[in-house]
Amino acid sequence: MITKENSQFVEISNLIKEYPNPYGEDFRVVENFDLKIKEGEFISLIGHSGCGKSTVLTMLAGLNEISGGGIIVGNKEIDGPGPDRAVVFQAPCLMPWMTAFDNVMLGVKNVYPHVSKQERIQIVEYSLSAVGLGDEMKKYPREMSGGMQQRVGIARAIALQPRVLLLDEPFGRLDSLTRMELQDVIIDILAKEKLTAMIVTHDVDEAVFMADRCVMMSNGPKAGVGEILEIGFPRPRERKEVFDDPNFFAYREHLLAFLEQRSHIKGEPRVFANGEILGFMDKERVEVIRRNHEKVS
Amino acid sequence: MVLNFVTMKKIKYSLLKTIDITGLTFLDPVVRLCYGEEPQVQLKKIGQWIIVPLIAVFVALFVIYDGFIVDTFKTKSGKLPTSSKIYSSYQAIDQLHDDELAKEKAYNLSGEEREVELKAVEEKISSVAKALELAGQAVASQQEVTKASIASKVAPIQAEYEALKESIKVAATARAEELELFSQSMTPGDESAAEKLLELVRADDAQDTLDREKRNLIKEKISVTLGEKSLDLEEIKAEETYFSERLAFLKTYKTLLSTENKSLIIDEKKGRISAYEQELTTLTGADALKKAKSIVKQESVISKKEESEYAGSKTIWYQVKRSVLCVFTGFFLGSFLAIPIGIFCGLNKTFMAMMTPFIAIFKPVSPIVWLPIILILVMGAFPNPDKHPFMEFLGELPLIGVYKINPAFIASAITVALCSLWATMANTALGVASIDKDHMNVARVLKLGFFARLFKIIIPSSLPLIFAGLRISLGVGWMVLIAAELLSSSEGIGKFVFDEFNNGGSDSLAKMVVVVFIVGIIGLILDRIMVIFQRLVSFEGAPATI
Ligand SMILES: Nc1ncnc2c1ncn2[C@@H]1O[C@H](COP(=O)(O)OP(=O)(O)O)[C@@H](O)[C@H]1O
Ligand SMILES: [Mg+2]
Repeated sequence: MITKENSQFVEISNLIKEYPNPYGEDFRVVENFDLKIKEGEFISLIGHSGCGKSTVLTMLAGLNEISGGGIIVGNKEIDGPGPDRAVVFQAPCLMPWMTAFDNVMLGVKNVYPHVSKQERIQIVEYSLSAVGLGDEMKKYPREMSGGMQQRVGIARAIALQPRVLLLDEPFGRLDSLTRMELQDVIIDILAKEKLTAMIVTHDVDEAVFMADRCVMMSNGPKAGVGEILEIGFPRPRERKEVFDDPNFFAYREHLLAFLEQRSHIKGEPRVFANGEILGFMDKERVEVIRRNHEKVS
Repeated sequence: MVLNFVTMKKIKYSLLKTIDITGLTFLDPVVRLCYGEEPQVQLKKIGQWIIVPLIAVFVALFVIYDGFIVDTFKTKSGKLPTSSKIYSSYQAIDQLHDDELAKEKAYNLSGEEREVELKAVEEKISSVAKALELAGQAVASQQEVTKASIASKVAPIQAEYEALKESIKVAATARAEELELFSQSMTPGDESAAEKLLELVRADDAQDTLDREKRNLIKEKISVTLGEKSLDLEEIKAEETYFSERLAFLKTYKTLLSTENKSLIIDEKKGRISAYEQELTTLTGADALKKAKSIVKQESVISKKEESEYAGSKTIWYQVKRSVLCVFTGFFLGSFLAIPIGIFCGLNKTFMAMMTPFIAIFKPVSPIVWLPIILILVMGAFPNPDKHPFMEFLGELPLIGVYKINPAFIASAITVALCSLWATMANTALGVASIDKDHMNVARVLKLGFFARLFKIIIPSSLPLIFAGLRISLGVGWMVLIAAELLSSSEGIGKFVFDEFNNGGSDSLAKMVVVVFIVGIIGLILDRIMVIFQRLVSFEGAPATI
């Protein structure tokens, strides 16, 4: 029983999203989007800009109305947003009139109405420390860098102790150094909290490094799942190990090849497991890239 | 004490921050210059933002206004006041205020202090009287001088006039005789002769008109010369007026220290009572009853006197303070209505649609229309204001009681509220409606309830716009208030102007111009205050410490 439940902790079936176009007609952005996510699994969602990644994620968050199909989270069909699904937006979206502490406290108060004030403070402090802001709790957003603000955004999300963490290009606006730091922060947190997570990204490296499975979306309109790539790296992951792994380049190449050549193909989603991939791709090319990489580093 | 470098820097930045928040940016280069930061740049900025405006004011006041406008435009009561006259009017208004304060103090003075003060005043009176006498003599002698100089100027013109008059008279008689002769030489039936006569008569008439004009021209010259004002005389006369006004004040001051002094009157009455009491012991029957009754009456008079306050005339600063109190009363009243309504309008499109017709119709209504309506309503609510418990309550409030809030005050405040609340309402609605979608998404994810959304997200994020609206409202309210006070004769700046207008004194116009500046400066201060609040609630400067 438990295994079955776990293998379908999040179940997105036949999801459809229609937006009205300027002539008032409905325009299908997403169609027949199917995905099952296991509990504790980390999914990355990748695809061309405008294909509908954010649309899928916001529907999962409950912020965007569903036009057809359904989403089940933990055996319950979702109906609007809820604290079981926390979102980290691309922009940190902090309230500029509140300190980091107050921004995190904002949600905590509502999610734990029966918890004592002292415990609430502990939850907020714990979350901020988890993202490395233990000493900057009293700062206002304007006193913080973009990376720090996004850390507060992450802290705010995890303070709700959600079951699913949804990240929509959370590092899109950050420089690459900060981005790496925050990737590690997320990976650490997920390892500790055992959360189910979905990250929307258009950074191929990020998609491979962070996720257990990469879901590649076909191009819109009527976008759906194109291919799914299982990433076989063990957890906990170390950045250097992962980037040195020959498979890393294979995965990367696979994603790039999808984005460059096959993303327009719609039809049955194809799943590629770890072993299959090397057969599918040009082995020699992977080797060349790997050697080049070693030379550089 | 030697300030170290870091403290100096800290002071510099807190100064600059204060300047920035208060919007007094013209002071910024001065501070920077004091710290020796890029002197060239700062001097240029000082030139641009301090020197140039000062020059502009100087030119406008002393060159264009004093030099040109004052000479060009005439008013009902003579010339426009020059800037120095306006300034002396300001001093006079200010002096009046000090005098009233002094009188009030004198009225309440008692004991030895009173006697000392009385002596001092008597000395002052004699010295001022002497000065007045001297000034009077100076005026008289200067008047003689002026008279003589004018007479000497008029004499030749008068002579010229007499001569002209004589010559005109002679010529006119000659023409009359000529006409007479011609008319007698005419034979009936001679058409050309008749025509000639008509022509001659016409020419005679034209000459008469011409002569009259010539005479009038010289007459006018004489009257202008007679009316010429000597600047010296004016100056001395002004001095005389000053001393006579001072003397009048000192005399009143003296009576307030002596015959009209509160403690003196009370003492006198007390003395009378004790005398009556003595008498009472010797009396019986109806006489005793009468005496006892008059004692009791005197006692009640004393207790009334003890509570009494000096009833002086209202001075400009009192009126300014009352106006400011009134504008804030109206402003808070208006905001109290406008902000909640604005929030609901921003939250709910249906409510907004409901409110739109009211806003559209009432917004353009002028204070001149609101005021009489409201005055009638307020007066209906307080038919006997002096005895109304609410008014009595207001009259006994610690700081506000002095300003004697009456229905006119309340009506003015409500008018201010009605005319000024629209800007706040519109801005609040806009601020609430245009709240960042991302913030609302956050609120949805965090499952915030209505009140948490309202107080944690919606109101804080609309505060900058709300305060921008409040700033406009206060500005509008201040403008409206002066008109409302003028109309309702609620004691305040507006009433001051109206009183001066009705007075029509020689310096009324100058006093009204002074009021223009007072109103402008207070409006500016109110605006600055709101700017500071606006800066404090804006997010970039969020909870900034000055
Ligand atoms: N509110 C909306 N109304 C109409 N069209 C929308 C709306 N939001 C997104 N779209 C359209 O849906 C498509 C997918 O958008 P989105 O999910 O934001 O893409 P991305 O994959 O870049 O996140 C885009 O073509 C976009 O123009
Ligand atoms: Mg997107």
